[in-house]
Amino acid sequence: MTRAIPERRKTSSLKAQGEPMIWLTGGMFAIACSMILGLLALVLYQGLSTLWPRPYSMYSTLGNELVGGELQGNNEYVLSGQTLEDLDSNTRSRAEKLLDGASEIRSRRLYLRTGNFELTNRHFTFLPTVALSTDKPVQPKSIWLLERREWGNLYGFPKSLSWTEANESNIADLVQKAMHDAEQLNRKIEAEKHKLERIDRAISNARLDVRRAELAEKVELQAALDQATAEAMAGNASGSVVAIEELPALQGLSTPATRAIVGLIRKTLDSEPQLISINEQIAKLEEERRGRSVVMQTPVMDNIGTADIPPDQWFPAGSEKTIGDKAGAALPQAILDAMGSSDAIHQIFKTVSLGPQQWLVSAQHDSKPPVYFWAVQENGASTSVYGMREQPVLVADIVRLIQPNQLSWLGRCGVYTSRWLEFLFGQPREAGVEGGFFPAIWGTIVMTLVMSLAVMPFGVLAALYMREYASSGWLLSLIRISINNLAGVPSIVYGVFGLAFFCYTIGGYIDGGPAKAGFEPWPSTVWFSAFAGLAVTGLVAFGVSILSGPRDRREGTGRSILGAVAGLLWIATLVGMVILLAKIPFFSGFYQAQLPNPTFGKGCLLWAACTLALLTLPVVIVATEEALAAVPNSLREGSYACGAGKWQTIQRIVLPYARPGIITGFILAMARGAGEVAPMMLVGAIPLATELPLDLDFPFLHGSRSFMHLGFQIYSLGFQSQNSEAAKPMVFTATLLLLVLVTLLNLTAIWLRASLRKRFQTSQF
Amino acid sequence: MNRLKAIAEGQPIESVYHDEVLAREAVLTIKDFNLYYGRKQALYNISMPIARGMVTALVGPSGCGKSTLLRSVNRMNDLIDSVSIEGDMLLGNESIFASGVDVIQLRKRMGMVFQKPNPFPMSIFENVVYPLRIDGERDKTRLMQVCEHSLRGAALWDEVKDRLHESGLSLSGGQQQRLCIARAIASDPEVLLLDEPCSALDPIATSKIEDLIEKLKGDYSILIVTHNMQQASRISDHTAFMYLGRLVELGVTSSIFTRPKLKETEDYITGRFG
Repeated sequence: MTRAIPERRKTSSLKAQGEPMIWLTGGMFAIACSMILGLLALVLYQGLSTLWPRPYSMYSTLGNELVGGELQGNNEYVLSGQTLEDLDSNTRSRAEKLLDGASEIRSRRLYLRTGNFELTNRHFTFLPTVALSTDKPVQPKSIWLLERREWGNLYGFPKSLSWTEANESNIADLVQKAMHDAEQLNRKIEAEKHKLERIDRAISNARLDVRRAELAEKVELQAALDQATAEAMAGNASGSVVAIEELPALQGLSTPATRAIVGLIRKTLDSEPQLISINEQIAKLEEERRGRSVVMQTPVMDNIGTADIPPDQWFPAGSEKTIGDKAGAALPQAILDAMGSSDAIHQIFKTVSLGPQQWLVSAQHDSKPPVYFWAVQENGASTSVYGMREQPVLVADIVRLIQPNQLSWLGRCGVYTSRWLEFLFGQPREAGVEGGFFPAIWGTIVMTLVMSLAVMPFGVLAALYMREYASSGWLLSLIRISINNLAGVPSIVYGVFGLAFFCYTIGGYIDGGPAKAGFEPWPSTVWFSAFAGLAVTGLVAFGVSILSGPRDRREGTGRSILGAVAGLLWIATLVGMVILLAKIPFFSGFYQAQLPNPTFGKGCLLWAACTLALLTLPVVIVATEEALAAVPNSLREGSYACGAGKWQTIQRIVLPYARPGIITGFILAMARGAGEVAPMMLVGAIPLATELPLDLDFPFLHGSRSFMHLGFQIYSLGFQSQNSEAAKPMVFTATLLLLVLVTLLNLTAIWLRASLRKRFQTSQF
Repeated sequence: MNRLKAIAEGQPIESVYHDEVLAREAVLTIKDFNLYYGRKQALYNISMPIARGMVTALVGPSGCGKSTLLRSVNRMNDLIDSVSIEGDMLLGNESIFASGVDVIQLRKRMGMVFQKPNPFPMSIFENVVYPLRIDGERDKTRLMQVCEHSLRGAALWDEVKDRLHESGLSLSGGQQQRLCIARAIASDPEVLLLDEPCSALDPIATSKIEDLIEKLKGDYSILIVTHNMQQASRISDHTAFMYLGRLVELGVTSSIFTRPKLKETEDYITGRFG
């Protein structure tokens, strides 16, 4: 028998070499890498550069405007015939020349942070390069940037101080010193306001006592309270000492009600002088606070007059342009008026030509801070003179004074560091657009920790049961698949569930009992008979499970039916207990007195943590199960062979061995939870919270408070705030922070796993 | 007809016992023991006494049920859901499989060593005293006493006495196996169950373990599963030959290896079969 031997090919096929697959897989890898790196680079660059102080530049336009700002960047845009209509005539003619008949061309525009919101109604502006009258902007050395508590940044030139004389060289020092004093003042006002809050809280607590007495005794106390208050006031006013307990209005009331009313009235009367003095103190401090302000000249121009000749001819030929002499100079009257002095001998002038017909003029009286003007020669004819609009700024409102064009590199680093410190540890200003993110960072951390506390026992115990106790079968597989699927449910669904179940049902139940949670309580006879029935069911379940007992090897599986019955009975008991709790007629909530203001019946820290715990539960269960499955069976057998019971084996052998895996899963869950935003919007995160969820006030952890959250902050700043454009840089910085937080968590997980693994699995052979 | 062929065809056979074995006092008596994995029967009517203070080796080809039998003695098979059994075993005079037997107490009366060393991920000291720890023993001096006694018993003391608090996993394979033996004898059991204790070890570690078994017998009754005929002949007093879930012959080792009653046993031992 002969067989044809196939001729061997000289070279192996392309498929065998696998070259294309290397390119394909490598290419995909490169694309994936570049996408991830691109995102990281964007967030890193934007996040890190936001707080970096940039120089302030002033540009003059063909439309005879002076536009100043911190240059944030420039981008390309489409210059088309339609957009031309927004431009002034000079610019338009230049743009038309550029277009040269085409319908549109690509051009660039500058992105400037202009600040001075109260004057211009904008924080940022775009400046098309086609409108610039000169390429080189002026960077005035003496420009100031004031970061303020309100209204954002103000850019301008200092002119004078309201409380003292200043000259050009010491004005910054004077303001810095005043800022230091003002800080003390601000702190004092804060302290006084805190006192006010404390008194308010005490009074509202006393009012709650009255409301509680009302609820307990089912009587109306408002009338008695009003009357008693009036009587007490009258007594007080007449100067006689009043024994509140014996007021006629309170006669006939029960002791607790009387005590509550007396408590409230006494508290109100006692705190009245205090309130008055605190308010007076605050008014005084506010007065003092308003006493010191800096007058700033902002680059918002007002026409103040005209000059017959342009600035380059104001001084006689040959004489220095920097020193004006009334004798030789032809200064326009408007400027002399604005300088407030007709004696021009001591006035020093500088002009800077900004375009062919545009000048920035600075005038200085002795060593006083210079005053700035803007002169424009219109169409070769008369010259218009513009003055800068003045804007007073309270020293106490200034957070930071920066002279952006005088900063050395080191100085810039200093400002950068100080801004970062404020960002990390400071309170938000301007509705979160400026200032610190501390409450958001703190809220995220506290919420994540509470969530971990909630998810950890549930997840680990459930996984332990599934892996160590439950006998494998279709039911267990079904449950396992369901848990894995839970991880894929959109997180907003968890948010909706959390809102409906935790906030409204459980929270409502805690606040105001079954009725508030939407359950009609049963009459007490019905409830008691149901209770008796449930008790019997529970006892029977107990008995049956004892009967079904541990399975005996020799009896086969005959008794497992009893086991199933016991299981069903236990489930029935559990369901019955829940129903009984929901229908209880004797419970009307722990916070009934506060109603209709919800305490737990709204989004708050506790429910946010619970919702996230539910969301991360699959992660924890799956990770724990995997960790448990990785424990070698030989260890379990060894332990059983030593006579250890199941729980002893789990506790002493299985759990310690699985600990690295469990902790890893747990930290991954934390990272997932920390980055989750959608459910947060519904169950407790708010854009601006005045109180922290964990602080130094008893009981320290306030589960019923709403809180700020980094992820939610990104969303609300970027898309919900009035001023998203101004908030954009902060969004990136917050994103960076969240990324760093999550990365840190993940790194901790990796490090922990590695170090624990080293401890448990050293050399085998 | 050849008995092995009969077994392969599913026919019951009569086990052959040597009188010297039956004459000994038994610490453990296996009586008509059957074991099923679900529907599949793995052990058929095993009856044999295990002599007190002696080493009994279980030999036979792979899958003959040696390990299953060994693991039935301390009811490790309970951990497998599908297992059901018939018959009984007696430890002393007490039933092992009667209902109401406390499995945990039962296991404390037997020590078991597995094929692969399985020290727990804890210190050498904690490994040895583990059986006492789970009983709640806290007395440091007593724990130390037991630890030293067991480690000396397992001939490991001199090698580890200076590093009792290092991880048990830091030892070599042979040392780990001796550590497991120390752990098995820490609770002072009546019977030691060794499931191929040397199969994962090199020859030097093996010979150390064999010396140890030699030393331990007398104090403990030992039941050992082994694949290694030489090992069985070197260390055991009695040898049981099993085939496909049935006991074929049980006798004194010297006679099993030199003049077995059955030709089938001789064939297996001399390597002509199996």
